[in-house]
Amino acid sequence: MMQNQIHLWAFLQGIGFFPTGWKHERARPEGVFHMDYYTRVAQLAEQGRFDAIVFGDQLQSRGAGGRAPERLAMPTLDPVTLLTAMAAVTKHIGLVATVSTTYNSPEMLAERFGTMERITGGRSGWNIVTTAHPDTAPNFGETELPPKDARYRNAVEVVARACELWAEMDREGPELPQGRPVLVQAGQSPDGRDFAARTAEAIFCPAATIQAGVDFRTDLRSRVAGVGRSPDGVRIMPGLSCVLGGTEEEARAEHTATLDLADDALAIEYLSESLCCDLTGFDPLGQIPVDEILAKTLLPQGDVARSIVPGAEKGTPLGEFAANFMRHPRGHNVFIGTPEQMADMMIEWRDAGACDGFTLQPSYMPGGLEDFVGQVVPILQARGRLRTDYPGATLRETLGLPAREAVTA
Amino acid sequence: MTRPFILSASVAEPAFAVPGHARAVLQAAEAAGFDLLMLGRSGERPFDAQVLVAWAAPMTSTLGVVATVPASKAHPFHVARALSAVDFLAAGRTGWSVVPEGAPEGMAEDMVGAARALWDGWGSDTLILDKTSGRYLDASKVKASNYKGAFFKVAGPVNAMRPPLGHPLLVVDGDDPIAIDDADIALVSDGTAAPQATKRLIKVGADADAAMLAERFEAREIDGAHFTLNDALTQLPQIGARLASLLAPRPAGDLRARLGLPIPSTASNQPGGAVIPEIA
Repeated sequence: MMQNQIHLWAFLQGIGFFPTGWKHERARPEGVFHMDYYTRVAQLAEQGRFDAIVFGDQLQSRGAGGRAPERLAMPTLDPVTLLTAMAAVTKHIGLVATVSTTYNSPEMLAERFGTMERITGGRSGWNIVTTAHPDTAPNFGETELPPKDARYRNAVEVVARACELWAEMDREGPELPQGRPVLVQAGQSPDGRDFAARTAEAIFCPAATIQAGVDFRTDLRSRVAGVGRSPDGVRIMPGLSCVLGGTEEEARAEHTATLDLADDALAIEYLSESLCCDLTGFDPLGQIPVDEILAKTLLPQGDVARSIVPGAEKGTPLGEFAANFMRHPRGHNVFIGTPEQMADMMIEWRDAGACDGFTLQPSYMPGGLEDFVGQVVPILQARGRLRTDYPGATLRETLGLPAREAVTA
Repeated sequence: MTRPFILSASVAEPAFAVPGHARAVLQAAEAAGFDLLMLGRSGERPFDAQVLVAWAAPMTSTLGVVATVPASKAHPFHVARALSAVDFLAAGRTGWSVVPEGAPEGMAEDMVGAARALWDGWGSDTLILDKTSGRYLDASKVKASNYKGAFFKVAGPVNAMRPPLGHPLLVVDGDDPIAIDDADIALVSDGTAAPQATKRLIKVGADADAAMLAERFEAREIDGAHFTLNDALTQLPQIGARLASLLAPRPAGDLRARLGLPIPSTASNQPGGAVIPEIA
């Protein structure tokens, strides 16, 4: 076993991490509607010896106030479908689908992931989410989301019941190679962290700095130990985006150029979506319409006020505020530099205990993934930090976890 | 075009969820010239067929793959999304069959209505994908369907595109029918009332006589045959060999083009499927 091996997950929802990513000259926005794109990127991630591919998900269409955005990449195709198709064109890579416990019954989840687990030969994973977007409820005949604590209480019961159903499916056969899918979680709040500590075998988190990574991982490992599980049985995988260049200057220029692909209209659509309030009818050169936003948003007013009031008090015009908001990296680590510098950074984080590996969020697709696999992966392998072959057949083996582990929900 | 004799079968073997077996069955179905392979059937669904059609999409190139969807163990928002994605990955080769399986009366029909409304919430020409102008899509083509049925209330728009087929082929099994009068394909048995559909396939046993089928096809009593398989790997090649004389070459294109099945005019507010702009 290699010392301080770095695990890699590829987060491939949409056309990349940057809202402008689809406009990049090396992006293929039409690709996400064609199988050949998924074959290409799945095989690329497998070539880079990633543990798994992850697709995020939402159960509402993008937009705000009933208006769909025109300048943001959408829609998001169903992750279980995309990942299962990718299993058919790969041999080793794990396939982790984001699916909600609030809007699926345990029976539906068990049947869906049980079938996925069988047909992928034991490479399935479930990123358990409780769904937080207020626009979701009307798609399921409801007026509003259940409160957060109720969603998490329900999630614990749903996961436990699904695990019972998988045990039954496994007994009846054909067997589920891992017993059940690998359980993955991404909650940040205390409720979410406790749920993850009891349930998850891998955890995503944002960590903008190495210290934030150390703090999160230390906290999670102590919560895991606190419920009687081994902290070494959980992989902590902070998000990581990157812009690479032959020199640091080239990488910075490329980063700026990617952000500059945004115009005011794109930035305002992005801000509208983030605030749950349609701002596309407002003058980009005018004031931030604070009262209008607070009256119309479906998000908690306090959270929204905290993000817009300081800008409004400074008199920042709406378009400029939206552009700055869009450039903010949402709490994730965005690395800008050379492939050697990136490998150094990843090794430093791993050795400092800031993570077990990274969830790569390519800045645009498929070019961002091609660059990472072509330029950074060989360096990590040469330094003995990234596997050059897969250790076994199942995702659990790839993660270095016991073949089967029962949930302690 | 020549009227095609449609060759269809259903598989419900638990082993179809295991990759080695599923691959062999899919290859056998394509090699035997089948147009449709339905995964699961009423009362026999030992797997989630919506997952397996996704796996089948890149494994096949001409076969239509049909997912059985249980009315009472699915939600139209999820179903509409899953089948939209499969139809893109299969380049317009998907179908679905909602099975009541004891669901409350009207629930299966409500599922069909809700999913169709969600697919119709996206225009066929929604996507623009123009990097220069920065317009990804035409927002005026994306609409909330606000579907309100007895069982399902779904606001939309769905977080999925209109499928390439517009709507995947809707298959209704006359032995567990749903009250839809504009399905694409009905599976009918002799001596029972046939559901309304554009094409009728007679349900027959694996040893069905080719001459009898040809005669009824020529008389326009039927548009093809549907086989309920219990040993797919053995039966598919046998059926293909026996019925080879009935199978004419198909025109190129998606499943609707191959089988001569436009979207029923009652089923959709627009006749076409999604078009993905070519990027230079």
